[in-house]
Amino acid sequence: MAASTLLMIGSSSGAASRGHAAMSPIKIGVSLSLSGDFSADGIAYKQGYELWAKDVNAAGGLWGHPVSLDIVSDASSPTQVVTNYQHLISVDHVALTFGPFSTLLTLPAAQTAARNGYALVEGAGGGPSIFSAKLHNVFDVTLPVAYDLAPFAKWVTSLPASSRPTTIAYATSNDPFTQPVVDTAASLIAGHGIKTVYNNVFPAEATDFTSIADAVVASKAQAVVIGSVDVPTVSAFMQAFEQAHYTPKVIIATAGPDQGAAFIKAVGAGNADGMMVPNSWFGGSKNPASQKMVKEYIKQYGGTAAGVNADIAEAYSVGQVMAAAVKATGGFNNAKIISYLHSGVTIQSVQGGVKFNSVGENLAQTAYTFQWQKGGTTFVEVNPVGDKGAVKVLYPKPAWGK
Amino acid sequence: MKKWSNLWWLAGLVVALVLPLVMTNPAYRGIAVYTLLFTACATSWNMFSGYSGYVNLGAAVFYGTGAYSEDLLANHLNMSGGAALFWLVPLSGVVAMLIGIPVGLVALRVRRHTYVVITIAIFFVFQLAATNFGFTGGTAGLTIPFIPWMASYFDVPFYYVALAVLIFAILLSAGVRRSRFGLQLLAIRDDEDRALGLGVQVAAVKLTGYVMSGFVIGMCGAIYAMKQGQIYPQFVFDPLFDITVALMCFFGGFGTLVGPIIGGVVLESAQQYLTVTYSSGGSLYLIIFGALFLLVILFMPRGIVVYVKDWWGRRQSRIESSQTAATAGVAS
Amino acid sequence: MHALIDGVLTGSVYALMATGLTLIFGVMEIINVAQGILVILGAYFSYTLSTHFGIDLFLGLLITIPAMFVVGVVIERVFVARLKGPEKTAMSILVTYAIALVIEGSLNQIYSVNYQQLSAWYVNKSFELFGVYFPYIYVYGFLLAVGLLSALYVMLYRTRFGASIRASLADQAAAALVGIDVKRVSTICFGLGVAITGAGGMIYGATNTFNASSGADLISRLLTIIVLGGMGSLGGALVAGILMVTVEDIVGVVWSPIWSTMSFFIVLVVVLSLRPQGLFGKLSSRVA
Repeated sequence: MAASTLLMIGSSSGAASRGHAAMSPIKIGVSLSLSGDFSADGIAYKQGYELWAKDVNAAGGLWGHPVSLDIVSDASSPTQVVTNYQHLISVDHVALTFGPFSTLLTLPAAQTAARNGYALVEGAGGGPSIFSAKLHNVFDVTLPVAYDLAPFAKWVTSLPASSRPTTIAYATSNDPFTQPVVDTAASLIAGHGIKTVYNNVFPAEATDFTSIADAVVASKAQAVVIGSVDVPTVSAFMQAFEQAHYTPKVIIATAGPDQGAAFIKAVGAGNADGMMVPNSWFGGSKNPASQKMVKEYIKQYGGTAAGVNADIAEAYSVGQVMAAAVKATGGFNNAKIISYLHSGVTIQSVQGGVKFNSVGENLAQTAYTFQWQKGGTTFVEVNPVGDKGAVKVLYPKPAWGK
Repeated sequence: MKKWSNLWWLAGLVVALVLPLVMTNPAYRGIAVYTLLFTACATSWNMFSGYSGYVNLGAAVFYGTGAYSEDLLANHLNMSGGAALFWLVPLSGVVAMLIGIPVGLVALRVRRHTYVVITIAIFFVFQLAATNFGFTGGTAGLTIPFIPWMASYFDVPFYYVALAVLIFAILLSAGVRRSRFGLQLLAIRDDEDRALGLGVQVAAVKLTGYVMSGFVIGMCGAIYAMKQGQIYPQFVFDPLFDITVALMCFFGGFGTLVGPIIGGVVLESAQQYLTVTYSSGGSLYLIIFGALFLLVILFMPRGIVVYVKDWWGRRQSRIESSQTAATAGVAS
Repeated sequence: MHALIDGVLTGSVYALMATGLTLIFGVMEIINVAQGILVILGAYFSYTLSTHFGIDLFLGLLITIPAMFVVGVVIERVFVARLKGPEKTAMSILVTYAIALVIEGSLNQIYSVNYQQLSAWYVNKSFELFGVYFPYIYVYGFLLAVGLLSALYVMLYRTRFGASIRASLADQAAAALVGIDVKRVSTICFGLGVAITGAGGMIYGATNTFNASSGADLISRLLTIIVLGGMGSLGGALVAGILMVTVEDIVGVVWSPIWSTMSFFIVLVVVLSLRPQGLFGKLSSRVA
């Protein structure tokens, strides 16, 4: 078996070749978690990348070449992600690389790409550790996570004193990308006549949230901020709240309600009503490119605009940014692409404007807050207040199960 | 027979030494480094668990401790990314051994079957501790200074360091097997009560073996941390690591010297290669991997090495018996 | 107070899930690491019955439990029964791990990786008693756990078959000597263990959102429960399950949730240092 593996290694590295004639397909390498802990997001990312590739090919390809995506699975393992990108680059000879899902896997991927001189454009690695590594080749098209809740904080503190919540509870996972979001929100909200009655961190690997949820219930807070990482976390809190007949005036969760149909399926439409979530994109966005993408997504996979996962738009934006860089630099030279993306240019994506700073953060975007309304049938933008397309917040939140 | 086996070892060593010169593609070199690391871990694991029969399903305790020591030491000493970081590898191995002493004292108080489960439980204590303590960086993990080597060269130093660690592990395991200490471990595996009756200091022998196995596994964790750039609690204190290392030994031949080497080389390279090549089909490869794995365990329950030996032995005896039959036929 | 109620209600469900594990270990010295994924398999059985056939969750158990029993018997006959020799326990971990991979992969293929939760009118409702809200699902789950565990207890201590299981628990060789068909007992025990797990899976699925990967998170908790309770002790699993959830809840409320899981493990390590065999375990000197 060892011998045959070696034989396969020998033959496959000889077979591929780097040179391409005009109009030969251009390969883009991606490693995604198609199984394991991040698989739900990994599969959404795959759909987003594929949707982008289909659109590009329909419009004549990338710099005249049809795009072919080379997607491999890393089973949510950082060891495999290193092997995968190295394999994509030096065996499959992909011309460009797109990022994996989750910051946890993005850093090893970015370092591997850096050693090979490749740009890694990604949409999911927005955690501080990516940017503190100061790699020159990583570009995150999505807004860094820490300021996600700023529009919400602004809205809640500007409510008239008579209807403003007087107490607030924070319960957050000690996830490296969630805790900074909630901490920032707490510091923005503090001192506006809203008293913090509960503030606790729970372990990221917790499977049983009942006791934490019960503590939030006992605090009788009128506003609740949940630093959730996925659908199961937020749905566990919602279930415990409903069982305790406790309906805060406002609930915002950092992740979960943004998962579209997957969220509704887990919690039920009635309970979703009034749930809020921050994000950089949503299915009902008025951005014309985004509307076009959503239409195509629904045509291919079914569902409704509100049900489209934000991961799709992140992945799609990655493709758009790369396409703009290829067009501007006139080819697939990664060094040129890297310096172009660092040049301070603003690129339009389905998520809005993209402009990178020296460590690859996109600070050109604004965060939005979204809410499920009309009995959990529509997902709409509510913050920042006064933004074009923002509707009024459903406040106070309706009682559970209505 | 003895001579032949020495030649095999020599041939293996030569192949291992020249491999990176022949195999210049960085993708395969990377796989080779992981393979060497896992093989070294399997060899060292087998040196205690295989010889004594005390199956340790918490070997990641050593691996994770080694990885965290490497990163913590590098950061505290303000080192920059480069070859000097390799000096911290043996030091991290020692830290892993030291941590192993209290762990061994708690875990080794019970007999074999219960021990297996307790090692798993203690493993989770470590994973949780790494996730929740401040100095470990919590869920954000730790980073080591970025090593700015180009991809064409990057894996070469890692390869030779990992190879050195593997050779050390093999020599140590072979040395233990031939020593009095090794005989005591084997006596415990055969019949612990009898070994005790014969005056073997069972508790001390078990603890020594357990702690010794931690040195190489800790070093491998440190090398992994260096190569990977960033470590997270759930990936260095990884339950899959525990199972993989044990599987490699059972696959190759539990308690034999060569078994873990064969198991490590075949399984790790095959798994990495198969995942990168055939994983686009979603969860299908999970099913295939699990099914293959079941077949091997069920049809070669004592590992490849023993299976091949038995097969060879049967073949030889068949040839002999047919020869005797033939001679008998001629004679009559 | 609330933590205590929650500890008893939730803990009994964990005990239900862990019972199969401890029963199988006690009788066969097999560590079934597929237990976590079998819980999830049970949850998916209930999911299919309730969404596609509109059968109530608890009524559906009449189908789920026998179905899971068959699953258990098949796994035992085809794979586990083949394991022999001194390394049987360790090998069983590898075999059941491989089985878990196959089941996880298959569930992913069939149900996709999207999270599911079981629903019924009582899942999100609760009733009030002495000023405390009791969620129906937890109370029903508790009653189910107590019911099934008592049934198991009666079977073990009041029937002839139970006597032969207990004999095998105590000493397999001796049981075989007095004419007990240890092979048959093992198969049925494995089936029973998995069947009970299926019931636990239904409650788990109604109180948590799950997908096929959730099984991996569960197995560590179930293993620690049976280690704490004493490997092979049914009563131990119950006490340890309740103790685990209660300790976690109290620490979470009084101190900080971040330390709640950790606190249980500290209890575990302390208990093990004082009593290596666990709370109710017997110190095994059996030589394999």
